[in-house]
Formats: sequence, structure tokens, C-alpha cells
Amino acid sequence: MPGDKIYEDLSVVVRRANAVFRVIAVLILLTLSYYWKVQILEHKKFWDMAEANRIRSRVISAPRGLILDRNQTILADNKASFKVSLVRENVKNAAAVYPLISGLLGITEEELRSRVERFKGLPLFEPVVIKDGLAAEEIAPIEARRLEFPELEIEAEPIRSYPHKTRAAHVLGYLQERSPEEIRDNPERELRLGDLGGRAGVERQYDDLLTGQDGALIEIVDSLGRKREDRARQMPTPGRDIVLSIDAELQARAEELLGDREGALVALDPSTGEIRAMASSPPFDPNRFITRFTPTEWVQLVNDPASPLENRAVRGLYAPGSIFKVVMALAGLDLGFITPETSVYCSGSLVVYGTSRACWFPQGHGFMNLTNAIKNSCNIYFYTLGRQMGIEPITTAAGELGLGRKTGVDIPGEKEGLVPSAEWKMKTLKTPWFPGETISVAIGQGQLQVTPLQLAVMTAMVANRGRRVVPHFLMGAGGRPAAAPSVSEPPPFKRTTFESVIEGMWRSVNDKGTGQGARVEGLDVCGKTGSTQVVSRERAEMLARAGKPIKTHSWFCGFAPRTNPRLVVTVLIEFGGGGGAVAGPVAGEIFRMWSEKERSRQ
Amino acid sequence: MMVDRRLFQEIDWVLIGLVLALTLLGVFFIYSSSHFLPKNYAVRQLIWVGISLVALFVVVSFDYKFLVSFSVYFYALIVAVLAGSLFFAKLVVGTKSWLRFGLVQLQPSELAKVVMILVFARLFAEYKGRYLNAQITGLALVTAGVPLVLIMLQPDLGTALTFMAIVGGAFLLAGLKRKTIALFLLVSLVVGFGGWQFGLKDYQKKRLTTLLNPREDPRGAGYQITQSKIAIGSGGLTGKGFMKGTQSQLRFLPARHTDFIFSVIGEEFGFLGTFLIILVYFLMLARMFLSVAKARDRAGVYIIFMASMLIAFQFLINVLMIIGLFPVTGIPLPFLSYGGSSLLSNYLALGLILNVKMRRFANV
Repeated sequence: MPGDKIYEDLSVVVRRANAVFRVIAVLILLTLSYYWKVQILEHKKFWDMAEANRIRSRVISAPRGLILDRNQTILADNKASFKVSLVRENVKNAAAVYPLISGLLGITEEELRSRVERFKGLPLFEPVVIKDGLAAEEIAPIEARRLEFPELEIEAEPIRSYPHKTRAAHVLGYLQERSPEEIRDNPERELRLGDLGGRAGVERQYDDLLTGQDGALIEIVDSLGRKREDRARQMPTPGRDIVLSIDAELQARAEELLGDREGALVALDPSTGEIRAMASSPPFDPNRFITRFTPTEWVQLVNDPASPLENRAVRGLYAPGSIFKVVMALAGLDLGFITPETSVYCSGSLVVYGTSRACWFPQGHGFMNLTNAIKNSCNIYFYTLGRQMGIEPITTAAGELGLGRKTGVDIPGEKEGLVPSAEWKMKTLKTPWFPGETISVAIGQGQLQVTPLQLAVMTAMVANRGRRVVPHFLMGAGGRPAAAPSVSEPPPFKRTTFESVIEGMWRSVNDKGTGQGARVEGLDVCGKTGSTQVVSRERAEMLARAGKPIKTHSWFCGFAPRTNPRLVVTVLIEFGGGGGAVAGPVAGEIFRMWSEKERSRQ
Repeated sequence: MMVDRRLFQEIDWVLIGLVLALTLLGVFFIYSSSHFLPKNYAVRQLIWVGISLVALFVVVSFDYKFLVSFSVYFYALIVAVLAGSLFFAKLVVGTKSWLRFGLVQLQPSELAKVVMILVFARLFAEYKGRYLNAQITGLALVTAGVPLVLIMLQPDLGTALTFMAIVGGAFLLAGLKRKTIALFLLVSLVVGFGGWQFGLKDYQKKRLTTLLNPREDPRGAGYQITQSKIAIGSGGLTGKGFMKGTQSQLRFLPARHTDFIFSVIGEEFGFLGTFLIILVYFLMLARMFLSVAKARDRAGVYIIFMASMLIAFQFLINVLMIIGLFPVTGIPLPFLSYGGSSLLSNYLALGLILNVKMRRFANV
């Protein structure tokens, strides 16, 4: 381009430069359109990502509902558990401050240093827990000196606590970490892995009432996860408190009476089915499930031959022994095999189906009517009745009185026991029923298996003259009374059928019968004793001939008062010996305490 | 040395205004994104702006012809400094690219880019042919290659890339035959492959692979890209407001006040903000590139073109890098990002453009 540029023609390079700029201009335009895409079209996506980036939700644990007894005594409580953490980024001079901290927390400086060493991979602002499981009174002196120790952080969370330790442990149950299956199967309950949930007893049964709704603390954090500010706080909803029908004092007495003997005790109100006490011995301390067992402790607990975790009252299976005579008597009367006046002669032994069977009283009771047969627990009377009846009516009556099926008590794991029948034997053992077995069943031996609670419920039916109840613990939840479970089944026998049996039970306790150990002055206790052979009959007879003592399970079932009964007590003491001598007095103590309490209330 | 009144009137005040606007916006955003840090980066940047303006005045004062003729000495000096810094410079952030002069740290590689502009202007101004011949191509490659290798050895990949961009721009302007272009492509393929295999450090390779899949490494190299993209995208149309960007204020964004400052703008002022800033850059670049026509001689054309390329390349790479379209190479946003050496070298480049433009009628 001449003229314009006086020195030289630069048109070629200028043209190339302009071309390059045009390319750059296009690139800028494309860049701008990409920014449009990201900022306008994909805005929502990135906005959400930015929000998720900076918001952290921390769980505020909801306290579990309390478990109270009928008099508002706290059986399961929550206590604050504190943990003290060290924020290392606030530690100015470790050498100077570590001895002070270890002194304050009561740990050695070595322990402190090893904890810090263990977590040295964590970012410095992340607190390192140096002591946890501290109680409120232990934290107070630390809290008081917080200002001197900016490097310490104290956090509290509610944990379950059973203030009476082993008291009513089997009723309350225990907590364990929720399993992944439980969480998966209950999506609506928003359970979290690592949380403790009810594993047994009432804690399990009413877990959904007791479990609260965890709250959340929404925090704004920076890129290092450090908390910058609290955004919102969603307060936790505590679980609902529940009231149990247990009477803590009666429960304590029951446990005390069982002592270190293995066994079970059930006390319930026959008019409602409310369980006043349920003890199983040996007990366990549910607090240990919270503070975690050491592995050896756990192995010991699980392998303990006395199985302390088992609730013998609902899971222990025993032959009912002579208690079963009540079933026999009721069935015999109802079906007309006997009348109250029917009399049988007891000579001390009886040959039935070619086998000689002994009464527990070798000298013989002489002529026995029904009432006396019950009072003296005469075997011969019931051998005779059993031979007359055959197995089928016995099985039916036992079932009607609640044996061989679950009572419906509101704690999990109940066993149903076994009432044998010809049909059952053919099905499971593939052998026909031998009439001789009926004779064993007639005195509550053989394959009969019952739980102490089943016998308590059966006793309640007798006390109620046939009216059935469902044993239960729950009286109220969340401040409202709970409805008692209702029963629709009609009484199996006529009211009057019960009276002569009850007369026998009354005399057993109050007229020098086998149950006289349970006698309480001023209270009409009616009861039946039982002593169950744990070894086979042949072996028992062999031992008897050798003059060796045969330890039997010791039973007592009774109720009081005779009219308008208000309390049923069932006692089982494993290898206790004679029911009258061992279980009877234990039941008597419970009746006595109960009546004193009733009297003092009025 | 003295600038006379006539020349002063010829200074492109509009261009200076655009650059100053970007520079002051930069200080503003440096404050927004670093006010919570212990060092006061905004004030430091202001000091650097002062230094850069003085340097600009100095560059403008000398006729570019004079600077071009002295470029050989500048070249020798900068190569010596680059080589020396490789051996003696204090190690800073993993690179040997910083030189300390008392309180002031300088990156010699930044100055090398400006020196290269003058050297190439001198080299190509002599050559008036339509296309480059082999002889001068070879000479140019060796001239550019020595400082380039030294910069790459430091290692400062970002500056090396910018360096290559302006050199490549100069070649484009000088004219390349197809055969030469093909040869360049072949050589760069071989060098690229060899570099990947033997030259690139692991973190550099990672940055390249991360570009293809940022989620692969969300806490490492991909983290920066992901967080930057979240910042920009979450800004939406109007942004979250000044100093209200959660990504930048809560430090999710890396290098907020340096390489990623444009992400802060995108987050706090949204697409409107990014659009306006890009528009200002476009106007500035247009004014720079179109000044090429105002140059009175070939050396002037090369100076304006390469200086414009220097700014344009850094701008484009930076805005593409922070949104995940280019690997994280440590190229700052010219005039806006915090950083003294970068600001100084960009102002020197601006000075060169102004210098050429204001002397278009000057008679020597």
C-alpha cells in the first residue's frame, strides 16, 4: 500500500496479524458461550454442589425414653456421658501444657502423648478424644478450668444407664448396636448404623416408642471441614417414657430372695395380667452393654453355663411337676371323671400298666378326696385319674389352661413349651403313645415342658375362676395409659369347677399341706407346690435305693387372697429340692411384702 | 530519554484506561478473595501497580528502536539470569523461578517474555520476505529455544507455554511455508511424546489427565478444577454478591487471588460479571491487535503483535483453565491476578505497544 506507509509495505504482516486476532475473537466468543452454559444452563447443578460443599450436618442424639416402674421409679435412665478432646492446633507449648492436662484428666502424660501420636495423621484442627465415658461429676472440675485450657473440647451425649444395675435386667433387656439388616428393614425409622437399639426385653419390645428422633446441627464449614458458623439447629425429639407394671421394691425383694440360686420368680396381678415382678437368676448388668465389654468378658458371659442372659421366666423350660395336678383336677372334674368327693386310697405305691409307681410319701396318704389330694399332692390319686382319662383330655385341658402356647407377654423371645399328645409323638418321634407315659404326665413329668410365666398365667386363671389374662408390662407410654391386652376366649371350665381345687390349694398352704411354707398371717394364700425330677425315674429310684439325695427343681404357684385374688406368685428354683420347703417360703415372702404394701397404702 | 509533549499527546489513553480498569478491578477482587488471609494481598498488589506504572513510563520514554537495538544485551542478560537462577535461586513453591531482591521477588522468566518480544522484533524486522527461509527459521528457533529450555527446566510450564505462544505468533506473522508447518508439527509431536515419556513430572502429567476426567482425582489435581467450576456455575446470572461467594470465602477455591481470581468473579457476580470482564478484555485486545496497522515499521508490527499475543494468550488460557477446558498450568489472568512479576511483565508489554503506537509519525 504505497503512500500511506512511507517506509515499507507492511500490508502482509498486518493482514496476518488481523487474521490471528479474528481467530482470537472467535475463541473469546466460544469461551463466553461456554461460560453461558456453565453459569446459566447448568447453574442449578453447580449451585447444589456448592451448597453441599459447605454444609455439614452433625447428629444430635435423641435421648431414649425412660423406663419407669408403676410408682415412677426410674428403671432405665439416661445420663450425660462426656468426652474430652484435644484440639492440637490450639496447643501452643506441648511440653508445658501436657503435664497439666494429664493431671487434670487423671491420665498419665505417656497415655496422652500416645493418643496424640496415634492420631497424628488427622488434620490438626480435628479434635482427638483423650478421655471418654466421663460422668457429669467427673467433668465438673474440668469444665471449671475450661478457660485455662483452650486446647480442650468437651462434648456431651446422652447414654443409657440402668441405675439399679442388675435390677429387672431381664425385663428391661439391653441395648446393642443396630444391625445393618435392622436398618434396612425399617427405612421409615431413620435408624443409623452404630446407634444402640433395644436387643432384648422391654428395650426391644418398645424400641420404637423409646427411640427418639435424632436432631441435627447444620454447620457451615470451610474447605478443610472446620466449622465456621452454626446455620440451624434441629432439636432432637426424645423417645417416649414408658411406665411398666413392675413394682421396683417387689422386684428387688424377688431378686434378693432368689439370691445366687438359679431360678425364676413371677408375680402378677391376676385381675389385669399386669406383671409386678419378674426375676431371673443369675442376672446380668445391662450397663455393661453400654460401656462395652472387653472380649474376654463377653466370651465369659455368653459361655457361662448358668446363662445369665436368658430370662428363665419366659425362656426356661421345665417339667411342671405336681403343679400340673391342678390341670388334672380341673379336667377330671369338668369332664366328670371325678367329683370333689371321689376318693382314692393311697398306699404309698401303685402298680399301673405293670410298673410300680411310688407316691412321694412312701407311707401312703390313705383315703384321699380331691381337696386332700391337692393339699398333700398325692401322686397315687392323680395316677389313678390319669389312667382313667387317657392322654387326649389332659392335653386339651392343658392347652386350655395356657400350657404349650405363648402367653403373649410383651417381651420378645418367649418359649411356648410342650404339652405332649399321641398325635405329637407320632409326628415327631414316629412312635405310638404308651399308656404308661400318660401316668408320668399326670404328675407333671414326662415330656411336659412349661415356662414359669405359663404356670403363673395358669395360676391366674385358677384364681380368676377361669378368666384368662394376658401377662404384660406396659402400663403407659408418653404420659398416656396403655390399654391392657384383651382376651376374647371364654373360660374353659365352669366357675364352680374351680372351687374344690382352690379349696385344696388353700389347705395346701394353710392346713399343714405341702405348701405351708408360703403361709402368710392374715392373708388367704392358695397355692400348689411341685418338685420336678430332673433325672429319669429309673435313675431316681436307683439313687433313692442308694440313699443318695435327689436334687429336684423346686416349684411353687399360688395366689392371694382367696376371694378377689390380687396377686399370683410363681417361684422356680433350679435344683432347689422340695417345692414346699424351698420355693414355698420364697413365695410366702413375696405375698407378705405385697400385703404389707397394700395395707400401708390404705 | 525525555518524552516530548507531542509524543505524550499520541499516547493511547483509551488503552491505558481499559488496562487500568482491569487492574483496579483486580485489586478489588484480590481483596474479596484474600481479606481473611494474614497477608494483605490487595495492598501488595497496589504497590506492584505503582512499580508497574513507573516501569511503563520508563519503557515508553525510550524509543522502541533503541530498545530493539539493545535487545541482544537484554537477551544475554536474561539468559544468564535464568541459567544462574537454576543454580542459585532460593527454592520457592517447588520452582526455581523466583529471584529475591530484598523485599521484592521477581520471576525472571516473566521478564524473559518481554525480552523475547524485542529480540524477535529485531530478528524478523530484518527479514522482509513473504515466507521465512530455513536459515532464519533455524536462527529464530535457537534464539527462542535457549531461554525456553531454561524456563522449562525451572520448571515453569505456564510461562514456557506463553513463551512458545508468542514465539509461535511471531513465526505466523513472518510467514511459514506449508512444508515448514508440517515439519513443526512432526517435531512437536516427537518432542511432545518424548516429553510425556521422559520430560514431564508426574504432577504435570496428572494435570493433563485430570483435564480429561476431573472427577478421577477429586481431592488432588481435579479438586481445583471441580471446585472452580462449582464456583463459576453456582454464580448463575447475577452471582452471590461481593464477598458472599461461598466457594471463595470458605476457601474451597484454590489460588483464589492468583490464578483462579476469575472464578471468584464468576461466583460473586455471575454471568453478568464474567460477561462484562470478558467484554473489557475483548475491547482491550481488539485495541491492541488493531494497533498493528498503526506501526510505522516492521519491528513495530512485530512488537505490537507479540505483546498483544502475550496478553491474549494468557487471558484465553486462564479463562479456559479455570472452567476446566485447559489443564491447570499456572497461567495468571493478565492485569487481574495477584502477582508482581506477572503484572510488571504485562505492563512492560503494554508499554511496548504504547511506545510503538505513539511514535508512528516520529521521524528518526
